[in-house]
This record gives sequence, C-alpha cells and structure tokens, in this order.
Amino acid sequence: MRKRLFITITALLLVGLMAVPVFAQKTVLDFVWFSDGVEGEVLKDIIADYKEEHPDIDFNIIEVPYNELNTKIKTMVAGGNPPDLARVSNPGELSSALLNLNDSIGQDYLDNFVESTHPYVMVDGKMLAIPIDVTANGIIYNKDYFEAAGIDVPDTEEELDDLWTWEEWANALEKVVENSNARYGLAYDYSPHRWSTLLYQAGGSFFSKDWSEVTINSPEGEKAVEFFVELHDRNIIPESIWLGGENPNTLFRSGLTAMHFAGNWMLTNYRDNIENFDWGVAYMPKGKIRSSVVGGKFVAGFKDSDNKEAAVDFLKYFSSQDVNAKFCEDSLFLSARKDNSKLNYSFGSDMFEIFSNELAVSPPEAGSDWAYNEAMSRIYDDIRQNIVKSIQHKITPKEAVENMEELAKSEIEDIEN
Amino acid sequence: MYRWKKKIAPYLFILPNLIIFGIFIVFPALFGFYVSFTEWDVLTSPEFIGLGNFIKLFQSAEFWTILSRTLIYVFSVVPITFGLSMVLAIILDRNIKAKGFFRAIFYLPTMLSFIVIGVSWRWILGNNFGILNYLLDLAGMAPVNWLTNARTATIMVIFATVWARVGYFMVMFIAGLQGIPGVYYEAAEIDGASKWQQFRHITFPLLKPTSLVVVVLSTIQAFKMFGLIKVMTTGGPGDSTTYLVQEIYQQAFQVGDMGYASAMSVMLFIILGLLTIVQFKVSNRGGNAYE
Repeated sequence: MRKRLFITITALLLVGLMAVPVFAQKTVLDFVWFSDGVEGEVLKDIIADYKEEHPDIDFNIIEVPYNELNTKIKTMVAGGNPPDLARVSNPGELSSALLNLNDSIGQDYLDNFVESTHPYVMVDGKMLAIPIDVTANGIIYNKDYFEAAGIDVPDTEEELDDLWTWEEWANALEKVVENSNARYGLAYDYSPHRWSTLLYQAGGSFFSKDWSEVTINSPEGEKAVEFFVELHDRNIIPESIWLGGENPNTLFRSGLTAMHFAGNWMLTNYRDNIENFDWGVAYMPKGKIRSSVVGGKFVAGFKDSDNKEAAVDFLKYFSSQDVNAKFCEDSLFLSARKDNSKLNYSFGSDMFEIFSNELAVSPPEAGSDWAYNEAMSRIYDDIRQNIVKSIQHKITPKEAVENMEELAKSEIEDIEN
Repeated sequence: MYRWKKKIAPYLFILPNLIIFGIFIVFPALFGFYVSFTEWDVLTSPEFIGLGNFIKLFQSAEFWTILSRTLIYVFSVVPITFGLSMVLAIILDRNIKAKGFFRAIFYLPTMLSFIVIGVSWRWILGNNFGILNYLLDLAGMAPVNWLTNARTATIMVIFATVWARVGYFMVMFIAGLQGIPGVYYEAAEIDGASKWQQFRHITFPLLKPTSLVVVVLSTIQAFKMFGLIKVMTTGGPGDSTTYLVQEIYQQAFQVGDMGYASAMSVMLFIILGLLTIVQFKVSNRGGNAYE
C-alpha cells in the first residue's frame, strides 16, 4: 500500500515537472499600470484579444496608484528587475531606464500622433515611449446647482464669444453657493499642473517654449497666484484641499462643491459614481487668453528588460489605430492618434468636443512646460509649496513667483554643472 | 568533539537571526552610508561626489528648519507619552474594577498599523467629512480647521502619535511596577509616607531601568514616525508637519535624489545615536536605585 502510494506521488510529481517547461515557454510581460477610471479593465480586454493572437505571451499587470508610479518603477529598476512595459505620464523622468525605440519602431511612427505629444516622448533624440491618449484640464460642473441658482454655464460652441472672465466666474460660483445646496463653489485639484491652467490663461508660463528662459516671475505669474489665493480667501475653493489634502473628487461627488477643476480623465469615474445629480463639462473662463493644459499618457518599454522584442510588439499593437480607438472609446479618453480624432464615444461626446476645443486654443507653452524638463520635475513640489504658502498668506504672490524663479534657475544651474 | 559542538551550538542557534539581521539591517545601512557620498537617481549608477551631499545639507536653510520642527515634535511627543503611560500604568496596576478591560482599551491602538491610525484620525478630523466637525455642527458650534491650520495640525499629529503609543509603554511600566517589591511600600506606610512621597522615593527611582527603555524607544519611534503623518496630513498644511523622515522620503522618491536623502538619513542616525548616549549617561548618573 505504502509502496503504491509512493509510486503514485512520484509519478504525479514527474508529470508536474514535465509540464513546467510547457508553461515556462510562455513569455510573461510585467506591465506596470495605473488607472484614473476604468482603463485598467479596458486594458485587460485588449490583452485578452492580444493573447488570442499570441498564445505564447502572458501579462502580469502590476497596478499601482498614480502617485506611487515612479517610486514603483524606480524600485523595480534598482532591484535589477525592471518591468517590461509601463504606462507613464512623463517618459523623460525615467529616460535613463527606458528602451530607445528609434531602431525597433522608428521616429517616423510619431507622425501618426498629435504634435503636442512629441516633446514628451523624444528625449535627446531618442523616442522613449508611444503616446496613447492626451489629457486636457477642464471644468466639470453640477448642472442641478447652477439651474437652481439660475446661472447659465457656457457649455456650447455658440457661447464661445461670451465666456466668463475670471471675475465673472468667481461671482457665478459665489452666487451658486448662495442659491443651492453647494457648500463651496469649486473643488480644485491639489496639483501645480492644474493650477498652471490659470497661469497660461493669464498669458504667462514657467519657461519659454525652448526652455532657454525661466519666465514664471512675471506680472502674469503673479496674477495667476493672486487670483488663486483670492478664490480661497472668498471661500470659493475650500482650504481643506490645498491645505488639508482633502480629496476634491469626493467633495464634488458628494455635492459639496458646484464645480470641479480637473480634466477629461475624470469622466468615467463620474459616469459610474455620480447618481444624485446631473453633471456636465463647461468651457473654462478666459483670462487674457483661453487655455487648457495638454498632458498625455504613454506606454514605454525598458532597456534592461529580458523581453524587449515582445514588449515592442505589444507597443505597436496597443498603439495601432483600431486598438487605440477601442481603448480610448471604452475608457472615455482623447486619442493621441491623429486618425482617431473623431471617435464613437458611448457617453459624453459633447464633453469631449469641449476638451478638444480647449486644447486647440492653448498656447504652445501649456504643452512644452510639462513635457520632459528635468528642472520642472525637481521643482514641482516647491511650486506647490509656494502656492500653499501664498494661500496661508505666509508669502505674497510676488514672493511666490520670485521663489519659483530662483528655484528653477538654481536647478538648471545644478543640472548644467 | 563534544566540547567543540557545545562551543559552536549557541552560535548556530543565533546564526539565522544574524544572517537576516545582516541582510536586512546591516547591509542596507552600510549601503546607505556609501550612497550618501554619491549622486544617485536610482535609474543609473551612483557617482561618487565625496562630501557634496553633506555640504549641501549643512548649507540648506530648509534642512535646519525641518530639523528644528522635528525636534519640537519629538520633544513634545516623548515627555507626554512618558508621563501619560506612567500615570496610566500606576492607575491600572491597582486593584480597580474592570482594570483588564481598561488595559485592553489603552493597549488596542498598539495593535493597529500607523497607516490605519493616520487614516482614522484624518477621517475624524477632516474639515468637511470629519466626524468631529459634524458633532460640533450638531451642537451648534462652528467647525474647527483641525488639519488645515498649521498649529492645530501639529497639535493633532502629536496627539495622534501619543494616542498610538501610550498603551505600549503603559504595559512596560506595568511590568516595571510589578517588579517593585511590596515590602518597600509597606515599610513606607508604616513610616507615615504619603502617596506622593512613596511615588517620589520608591516608585519613580525603581522604575529607572524601565523609564530609560521607554524614553529611548519613544524617542527613536518619534524620529522615525512616517506612515501616520504621511496619511494623516501628508506633511501639510504646506510643510508644517513635514519632519525629517518625510523629507528623506520626499528627496529619495519624489525628487529622485537618493544621495542627498541618504545623507539626511546618516544625519538622523547620528542625532539618534547622540541622544541615546546622552539618555544612558543621564540614567546612569543616579546609580542603581536598589543600592
């Protein structure tokens, strides 16, 4: 009996061991990913389709919160175990670890993508990532509250000549708070990238288009900080966001604020989670000019990955017209591909038109400031701290932009040395 | 042969622990010390720059501001934790009703992770979603900016830290109190000593060894407090609750300057080492209380 049991177990183990090479033939791609909405689920569908055509490839999706993305990737690279693929928002920050796609894909491939994405992926003549979607900052608003207050919100093309000025916008937000259940007018993301929308609307920028000059210390820069501080002083923006880290999404979803200054990436989140009120996207007010801020999401490979060929193959697949269209339509994203400028969204196509229109009128600095610039990545948190200190009235708006200029110049000098 | 085996056996028993200690404590510490003399963004190889990071550190006004803020935090947390845990231990060492229940209640926060504690206090103290402001509103009072005002945020962080650790040190003091022979108190009572005199001349001196452990451990823990503050205030408002450990994390993982962050870690190690030496010296000055 014991002998038979021993033989059975040994046989099963041998069969198991023989099966290992079969499984071991599959290439497993580690894919670091973050999601703002449902795009993680959409990715899984796309991967399932890809695996049908490539049964020898499998994926290990490593999903992390956005603010932990770079930390996760750097830790993996430092540990000698880099991922094969990653979804990133600024490839330049990881440039020394990313795979140069000049030979495997070729720079000509970028001609398929909108120009605003090119500075993000081209670093020192190397193509380091493929653009997937573009993002636009913008305003999402509670239609019920504005209706209750009798305020008409500009959200159609016909109203483009009659957009709010900053002051009109602030007054409208105060009025809606007085005449609805909103406790505050506006939830504003705790992000220098979002704040910079006001900077560009004021006619300013952080750097010149070619990054040769630091331009933040200007009357326009000061005005942008001043207006932002004023929105806090008038209690239009609750101080609990920029001073207390309260989640602006939660404030808007729970009906505490009448508007949310965020971007198109919030659409699936709000589509799936807001049931208590009607909401939409509005045109932003006009400062000196109209402006949004362009951003993007990209997918990159890693130069020390053991599966570079398979990773490049997936990059080409994921960024192809049809697959990109499916990804952007299902995730409610703006496509980075020129030939996907008109997609069939199941929800909110009018909202996408507003975001696209806003991007189309944005100055080039609204993109170039946020494309890879090592000085910007170093001073990003300092920008935020200076705005916070202005809100706390520890420094004036003028001092804030002077500090930002000094920091930027000091980092540029440090980088050049 | 037997003598050789007897000699080597203790070392074999502690070897697994030594290996783990070496891999996870000693090696990273030595590597961190090496990195503090380099410029390293993690993605490329470290570049030796000598004392560059330390010079930058000493010349940085921001570093000294953060250090002084950290010292204020630590020297607030440690005495409050020490005093409160001792008082609770003295009360709960007596024969009072439901003392087991109270001991468990005060010890409970020790079993929670700092992240859970930080998130919980954030939700209690939040401006718009906090339960405390909700209760104040129900009572007809104005809400308080617990975490958006620099001063109140600092006080709340100190409070949350003390709340998280007092139970742990209370248990240490209870163990220390139970080690004091009862005959001392009996003799003191016969001699007519008051409760305060008994505490001053018997309890407090004989708790010296326990007190030293509590002070050293609570000081180290306060300097290292990261998770609770990270989730409770994220170092804000602004940077008013950003202490040395948060700044090390910021420099290492957000700015990407691992060398500079390691230099700060070395400074933290030196500060903790010096404080520990001072604490041991102060403790040894009084001699052994039993003598």
